[in-house]
Amino acid sequence: MAGVWVLAENHRQTLELLNIGRVLASKLGTRLAAFLLHDREMAQEYIEYGADDILLLPSLPEDQSLDAYIPVIAEEAQKQEPDIFLVAATLRGKEIAARIASRLNTGLCSECISLTLDESGKNLEMERLMFGGAAAQKVTCRTRPQMATVPPRTFEPAVKQSGREGQIKELPVPPASALRVLEKKARAHEASDIREARVVVCAGRGIEKQEDMALVRELAEAVGGEIACTRPISEELHWLPENLCIGLSGINVKPDLYIGVGVSGQIQHVTGIRDAKVICAINNDENAPIFEAADYGIVGDLYEVVPKLIKELKGEK
Amino acid sequence: MPRIVVCFKWVIDEAYIRTGASQELDLENVDYKLSDYDRNAIEEAVRLKEEYGGSLVGITVGVPEATKGIKDALSRGPEKAYFINDASFDNLEPSQTATILADVVSSQIEYDLIICGEGSSDLYAQQVGPRLAEKLGIPCISYVQKLGIENGEIIAERKMEEGVEVVAAPMPALVTVVPDINSPRVPGLKDTLMASKKPVISITKDQLSQTYEPCLQTAGILAASMERNCVKFGGELEGIAGFVESLLKEGVIS
Repeated sequence: MAGVWVLAENHRQTLELLNIGRVLASKLGTRLAAFLLHDREMAQEYIEYGADDILLLPSLPEDQSLDAYIPVIAEEAQKQEPDIFLVAATLRGKEIAARIASRLNTGLCSECISLTLDESGKNLEMERLMFGGAAAQKVTCRTRPQMATVPPRTFEPAVKQSGREGQIKELPVPPASALRVLEKKARAHEASDIREARVVVCAGRGIEKQEDMALVRELAEAVGGEIACTRPISEELHWLPENLCIGLSGINVKPDLYIGVGVSGQIQHVTGIRDAKVICAINNDENAPIFEAADYGIVGDLYEVVPKLIKELKGEK
Repeated sequence: MPRIVVCFKWVIDEAYIRTGASQELDLENVDYKLSDYDRNAIEEAVRLKEEYGGSLVGITVGVPEATKGIKDALSRGPEKAYFINDASFDNLEPSQTATILADVVSSQIEYDLIICGEGSSDLYAQQVGPRLAEKLGIPCISYVQKLGIENGEIIAERKMEEGVEVVAAPMPALVTVVPDINSPRVPGLKDTLMASKKPVISITKDQLSQTYEPCLQTAGILAASMERNCVKFGGELEGIAGFVESLLKEGVIS
């Protein structure tokens, strides 16, 4: 029973998992294996980024989704008995990790934000958030493999070391899944990805009318940022698309600067900004929870404060 | 006509959680609620029943005291509820919840479609739906934002990172739904009164086919620390100037 396995849907996330996977595999004195989705060309590259073994998954027919691989991955895990199995916490990744864990009758730590070995050097101590982000839970897993899903960008990508050698193993073609993909629609307007934005200005329920979103946009322009929103703005009011909604079951952002405008600061939203370097808030309720989560706040009517702030910012430039 | 099962969970309302000394959680005076995402799951199940006919039952696992949650769920539309309960069923982990549900669903309920919320408001591990589907050996469609039935198949739009994926699966199948799929109705007084008259089938631990041990061990739960400066400025020009100056000092604007 040995080995650390990593599985991610895309290249960048595979490199991130190879980074933490390498650390764990070295400490455990075991091999690091990475799954590779049908792109054999990439195998040598993943080896140079730290993998000892590549588990190559064959390409799937167009109407099949990632879930088709579940039986093949679970079967391989039963044969090789890895000690640790990390999966990138993309939406599909979270689903298939849970289903593989179910097949293997093992525990899974969802959206794990910290992974370390305990004092014995054998067990993973995993940390995750619960209660909408209000609390952090630390767990260990008694069963094997110890499984965790890891949110994208939790770890830096691995660093390339040329000259590393490894082995490639081709896994069998999976049986067709009962789930058929009928159509894939890319997002209507491909907004720049705010998860990568350096500055994010977020509109909250304190914005009274849709046309007032212009004020938020103007502030975003003044600070060189992208705009985002809280759940009510996208889900109930549809003033911005869902992919700009920050928080639990939305997206997490890690900007240098976050400014919440009329954001009350419900824990589900704050969870999505907890990794921002500097958090700012503008709200007329001085007891709004956002001020407890903020580095700098302005207590005042956003309709008075924001225009003044824009002027001040422009004056500074 | 689809026979629909909807899963729900009665959870601690995180709005009532206080932090005690040394970062531990104070759960003394907490209140409970129907997990937010399960409201969407129930609403979607009710909507499908209104559109396609069929039947709708609810199912939950919890402690015997969770009866208020059963009533809350029933007031939202299901005809009856299965209540798998035991004093030891607090703090179950997803693997246990899913296997306990699978035990009862496979032995006692005839179904075509199972609907779950994408996760629970308390743990938000997002595992129970997919794990349950796997234990039952049925297709799983997760993160669904639009759901329909065509020619006896489930047609669902999944909300994925890169866009929308439209998928089909034969029934029986399991679907997990995201909050944007609908806006749950608020039950009225009549619904609440009717809920008290609906049948609740209580299933105790000894009626399950086996016991289900946890895989995970919780080493501790602490309030998530958010160490922030918490500096507040006033909304007058002076305050705004101070705010801007702070951001300049932090080097986050130039």
